[in-house]
Amino acid sequence: MTQQKHTKVISRNESFVDKTITRIWHEKPSDDNPYITENCRCHGYDLLELTKKRSFIDVLYLLFRGELPTKKEAQLLEHLMIALINPGPRHPATRAAMSAGVGKTDPAHILPIGLTILGGNHLGASEIEPAMRFLRKNRKKPAKTIADELLKNKIELELPGFGSHFNSIEIMPQKIANQILELFDNCKTLEWANELINCMSEHNIGWLSTGLAAAVFSDLGFQPRVGTGLYQLISAPGLLAHGIEMANKPITAMPFISDENYVIEK
Amino acid sequence: MKIMSLKNNKPNTEIWDKNRNRIYSSKGGWLIGKGVFNHGYDMMNDFVGKVSYMQVVILNATGKMVDRNLADWFDAIHICLSWPDPRIWCNQIGALGGSARTSVVAATVAGILATDSRSYGIKPLKEGLKFIQKALEDKNQGTSTLEIVDKECAKHGGKPFIMGYARPIAKGDERVEAMERTAKNLSFEIGEHLALAYDIEKLLLDKFDEGMNINGYMSAFLSDQGFSPEEIYRICAFLVTSGVTACYVDTADKPEESFLPLRCEDLDYQGKEPRKLP
Repeated sequence: MTQQKHTKVISRNESFVDKTITRIWHEKPSDDNPYITENCRCHGYDLLELTKKRSFIDVLYLLFRGELPTKKEAQLLEHLMIALINPGPRHPATRAAMSAGVGKTDPAHILPIGLTILGGNHLGASEIEPAMRFLRKNRKKPAKTIADELLKNKIELELPGFGSHFNSIEIMPQKIANQILELFDNCKTLEWANELINCMSEHNIGWLSTGLAAAVFSDLGFQPRVGTGLYQLISAPGLLAHGIEMANKPITAMPFISDENYVIEK
Repeated sequence: MKIMSLKNNKPNTEIWDKNRNRIYSSKGGWLIGKGVFNHGYDMMNDFVGKVSYMQVVILNATGKMVDRNLADWFDAIHICLSWPDPRIWCNQIGALGGSARTSVVAATVAGILATDSRSYGIKPLKEGLKFIQKALEDKNQGTSTLEIVDKECAKHGGKPFIMGYARPIAKGDERVEAMERTAKNLSFEIGEHLALAYDIEKLLLDKFDEGMNINGYMSAFLSDQGFSPEEIYRICAFLVTSGVTACYVDTADKPEESFLPLRCEDLDYQGKEPRKLP
């Protein structure tokens, strides 16, 4: 083996910032200790004033958008947050949290475990950003045109957030979408996506909870990259509740597959 | 506004019905009283004390029981790719975990999770393997090395941003020579992918004074060993463990929050001025 010549290792002396910049949160130090916060503001609003006068949903929206929501926007976000508060005890992410709970994992880890599994590409947070980008890119064209293109090219797999589950169109996300469309005006993306899947339902393509979240997040003006974590955030209560429920029970409270039902394939 | 009606399908659920309350494992498992099995091996009798841990890691990730020398090469690359320096992003997460008195398990896992990144860690490695495997395919179909380089550079405005070459923070990569020595000591020859990787490096050195980084070396070497990008992504899932743990331990044994503490003024707030609620 002849020796390959490489370059010497030298620093590029890249210019890094001296201080991290934030536009979200401002902490004013106390007079006698520069590490202690005397007062803090979120996008310019005093935190204590926000706690007195605004809802959690308002401040959540403010954190990510930089401005307070209108009443309708706050109601829409709250509606979605309630609708998607729990992926349910059959979702792999919830089951991961339950498995951690029943296994007596440190309670501090139950939620991160569930959220990590919820980060997947199948009914998980990683579907949200591509779904939002797809909706952004296409929503100004007629839904029928896009549906025809997708069906013609058979690129169902490139339609994150929509499709079938256990070989059927999901019912609950459709009901939630229907309810939002009945209660709220100006959900243009949701309305467009609903038309899209109407055109594709014969091919077993419908709403998934991830597509629903992506459409509402888009209508609320969130950036696609925010959508991923926001979906995890709004699903977190359900994951934690199920995990903690199992943490209070013995290890026998969840099935352990018997050897007879454990098949090692050759 | 058109609202879709809810149809009543009669779906085929056979695959899910077959797997209810039943596990079919293509890997192995513990049959109580009979033994622990792994890809047809009896773990207690065939593995313990007889093969290296890395051989079992690779087997579990890929289904391949590799020779000891290749497992030793993997052992060495794990040393190369994880150092106890908390300025590295994943390691800093470990250090912050120690500073905040997180558990060592949580902090280490958090650091590993950070390497699932598109700018450093394991995902670029997957891209590195994809690049060199495609490049060799192109070369074997008649594309010259120069054309391969020019085509890749053109994607980045003529800059030498080829996966596996150049490197942020520093120029050059001390790990490449260390792994070359290791490969030689373990009796590995230069294969087709690595030979091409070296040719690419020569062109980049001439044109841009930029060389191969550890990703480029590793991607080419492992392609020569017959691994796919996905297999390497799976084998290397915990690549940075030791450095993250080291950085955790360093700060966990010191006063709380004494790792790079921040005063209020140490953050540069550039947002909205104070304002009243509407």
